[in-house]
Amino acid sequence: MYLCTGKILRVNLTTRKISTLNTSDYKEWLGGHGLAVALFFDLVKDKSVGAFDPGNTLVIAPSYFSGSLVPAACRTEMVGIQAQSYPYEWFTRTNVGGRFANMCKYAGFDAIVLEGAADKPTWINIVDGDVELIDAANLWGLDTVDTQKVIFKNVIGSAGYGKWHATKKGETIQRPSVLTIGPAGENRSRLGAVMTDAGNAFGQGGFGGVWGSKNLKAISVLGTGSVEVADPSELMQARIWAEKNYGADVDNPKINAWQEFITSHFGGHPNRGWAPFDNQRRASGCTGCHLNCKPRTSSGYGNESICVDALYYQNWDLAKHGKITEITGYAADLAQRLGINSFELHTELAYLKTLYDKGVLGRGKKIDTDIPFDKMGEVEFIQQLLTQVAFRKGIGDDIAEGIPRAAERWGRYKEDTESGIMAAMFWGYPVHYDTRAEVYWGYASIVGARDINCHDFNVPAYWMPSLDIPAKKTPIVTAEQVAKWVGEMPPYYDPEMMNFATSNIYSVHMARTTAWLLHYSTFWKQTCGLCDNAFADFVNPYGPNNRGITPEGELKFFKAVTGRKISFEESLEMGRKMHNLNKAIWTLQGRHRDMEVFPDYVFSVDTEGTSYVPGEPPSYYMPTKENGTWDYRNVVPRHLDKSKFEEWKTRYYELEGWDPKTGWQKEKALKDLGLDKAASELKAKGKLK
Amino acid sequence: MGKDNGDNKGNGMTRRDFVKMSTTVAAALGGAAALTLPSRAEAADAQTAPASKKFLVVDQKKCAGCMSCMLACSMAHEGSSNLSTARIQIIDDAFAEFPNDIEIAVCRQCADPACYYACPLKDKALCIDPKTGVRYINKKECIGCRKCIEACHFTPSRISFNLKYKVALKCDMCQDTPFWKQTGKQACVEVCPQNAIKFTSEQPSGHKEYNVNMRGEGWAKLGLPTD
Repeated sequence: MYLCTGKILRVNLTTRKISTLNTSDYKEWLGGHGLAVALFFDLVKDKSVGAFDPGNTLVIAPSYFSGSLVPAACRTEMVGIQAQSYPYEWFTRTNVGGRFANMCKYAGFDAIVLEGAADKPTWINIVDGDVELIDAANLWGLDTVDTQKVIFKNVIGSAGYGKWHATKKGETIQRPSVLTIGPAGENRSRLGAVMTDAGNAFGQGGFGGVWGSKNLKAISVLGTGSVEVADPSELMQARIWAEKNYGADVDNPKINAWQEFITSHFGGHPNRGWAPFDNQRRASGCTGCHLNCKPRTSSGYGNESICVDALYYQNWDLAKHGKITEITGYAADLAQRLGINSFELHTELAYLKTLYDKGVLGRGKKIDTDIPFDKMGEVEFIQQLLTQVAFRKGIGDDIAEGIPRAAERWGRYKEDTESGIMAAMFWGYPVHYDTRAEVYWGYASIVGARDINCHDFNVPAYWMPSLDIPAKKTPIVTAEQVAKWVGEMPPYYDPEMMNFATSNIYSVHMARTTAWLLHYSTFWKQTCGLCDNAFADFVNPYGPNNRGITPEGELKFFKAVTGRKISFEESLEMGRKMHNLNKAIWTLQGRHRDMEVFPDYVFSVDTEGTSYVPGEPPSYYMPTKENGTWDYRNVVPRHLDKSKFEEWKTRYYELEGWDPKTGWQKEKALKDLGLDKAASELKAKGKLK
Repeated sequence: MGKDNGDNKGNGMTRRDFVKMSTTVAAALGGAAALTLPSRAEAADAQTAPASKKFLVVDQKKCAGCMSCMLACSMAHEGSSNLSTARIQIIDDAFAEFPNDIEIAVCRQCADPACYYACPLKDKALCIDPKTGVRYINKKECIGCRKCIEACHFTPSRISFNLKYKVALKCDMCQDTPFWKQTGKQACVEVCPQNAIKFTSEQPSGHKEYNVNMRGEGWAKLGLPTD
């Protein structure tokens, strides 16, 4: 099998038994998410277990394309029962970049299955196919950076870094790639992340806490092997073609306002928004990437942190000091070192501040804390807050459960989700792109199991118009053209998928937008491993006529590495199959249509959008068609209509071939997809229509 | 062209036979066999290698550490991306401060090629292309003695070693890329998304001329340093 080593590692932490499975038995699932969800489905007999139950099984799977020269594909997927979602612990996925995916395959494994729980802190050392479970007593309590440094020394010895080191199969000057949790994960925080290198995280899902519950501190992989591709020369040509025709020209960059904020397209370039406090920076990248979006700074503060990781404390720093200082980078590092998912903090710091301002939270208040909220923006505040969260001290013990569960402990959940001051939006995850404006984002999240975090439509649907228009610039692609390009995509061929006018947001068109996003992402990004920061690519200032590489690029890479020429429609159908297997697991966990709802504020409180240009009012510009005319129009203020959202759910379930009354799958539809095992398991549980 | 495991010496003698025979001879001479080879200094004095006309220069501050060059190099030469068989190496420390976090370790096609002088099968295993002056390894002739690796002026050695086939691997400026159909280009140069590796036909002189600043106005527009 191309792109595969042929072996899947299976580690039972309880019994310490190490065994392997043959990848060929899972050939149709390729790698990454497809392989991971298939393994989870087969190996976990009781899918209703809780996140911290030893019966929870985690599957870590390097993406299908990883190990090869396909750009932006060194991604690793992890699936299992998550700790983060509220109020239910749904099965979900999380994903990380860095070096791990390639190194895992080079070390000999297409996936790692983790079962049971160790009776004492343990780490797993994998070197060129050899696997060893090692006592982690000397690592427990260390932060993620120090843990990695100790493991580097352990694995490659005093010969050290930068010199040739021999394994039994080859020689390398590379360090191992290490996944590790910090104190937050050790203390079973639902905000616990699993980190690798300085700033790459399995962030969402609270899987750091799950690792902690398994007494698993780290997994190290070092390999000198490789995986074969069908046609190396064709892959070289495809890579060069993609970079020359769609990649950013770093020596002559095209700077658009929206590129200053977001790099979610193939032509993205190193972003100057991350670590802006330091003008002596490097643009660094994950293995094999062409974007290189991560900064390295002259102080080391903020190394590799991007997006929310990089800026979750930035506005507080700015407000306190009148400029963005190194404290922003320090805060980014502190979260990475302690292994805390800073995405939730990004939004919910405002919630905590609101409670502080209301006199509810603070020293001697109802929610009593000695964290110095009067020093938000300073090192002292963030240090105390994060340390308390990581080690579960004071209100940190509440926050370590995630903000929704903390609010529940504080008796505030109902009140604060009605008013919307607590911005949990989908399964307890904080608002990301606002469902009330960018509806498909919330729809895909709520019919899924987490903040969906798929930016496929996000540049043309939000960033480009919402930054250009208030800045009096004309977007490089018209709304009509965006709709036309999306309308060329199988299987729906529907330009109305890009119509975000209020009259269209509950329609079958928006059901198609949601389904397309889920099926595309499941196959191309989560299974093949194309980074969300580069794909899908509809609008790209480096592409011909500003058009992105999708779908031509994806298909070209697939053909080069596998030798198989598939159609784009086939790829989306494979994504639909994988998504249906996710859905079967959720149903087996107890999912029902009635559970898939947003908090009350989504249906009663308007979103106002954001103001990015000083002096301009908040706005949210999106492609809309009104009176037969396409344009980018401001869609806010807006909130959703509850009964119309229920109508949308019916349309979505019908589009997916599911029962609209329950949201459950139908036997024939599952069997048509080849998911007979899922059908029989659902049937046995009485959850199949 | 398929992968060459270097076993066939083309004269009916396998590499294993050759190494075995050499060892036997050395043992018979009580270790004196090592003296039959000139020292590096003697070799350098004895002959002057023709100059290369092909070189790579790099910008250490522009490099992203993405290792795309390594993946491309190993694939073009060996047929699959492999960090251990790449002829160019990226040394990357995610925790270090810029600019000390990354080093591009690339063969310089030295004017004084210690690897070439050290090779016991000089001009058969470690060769100099008569047209271009490029120093390259003929895998079919390499006996895996590692002398070229040890002789390299740099740390880490710019010559890697394929442990499976017991042959040394060295940058040949992509003159022989059996798995990449092309002429006259270098895989690392073509693939590097940062344009941090460039080809030149002018012999660079010293560290500064091999490590050049390729960061201009465009780079500054990205908010990245040009000094």
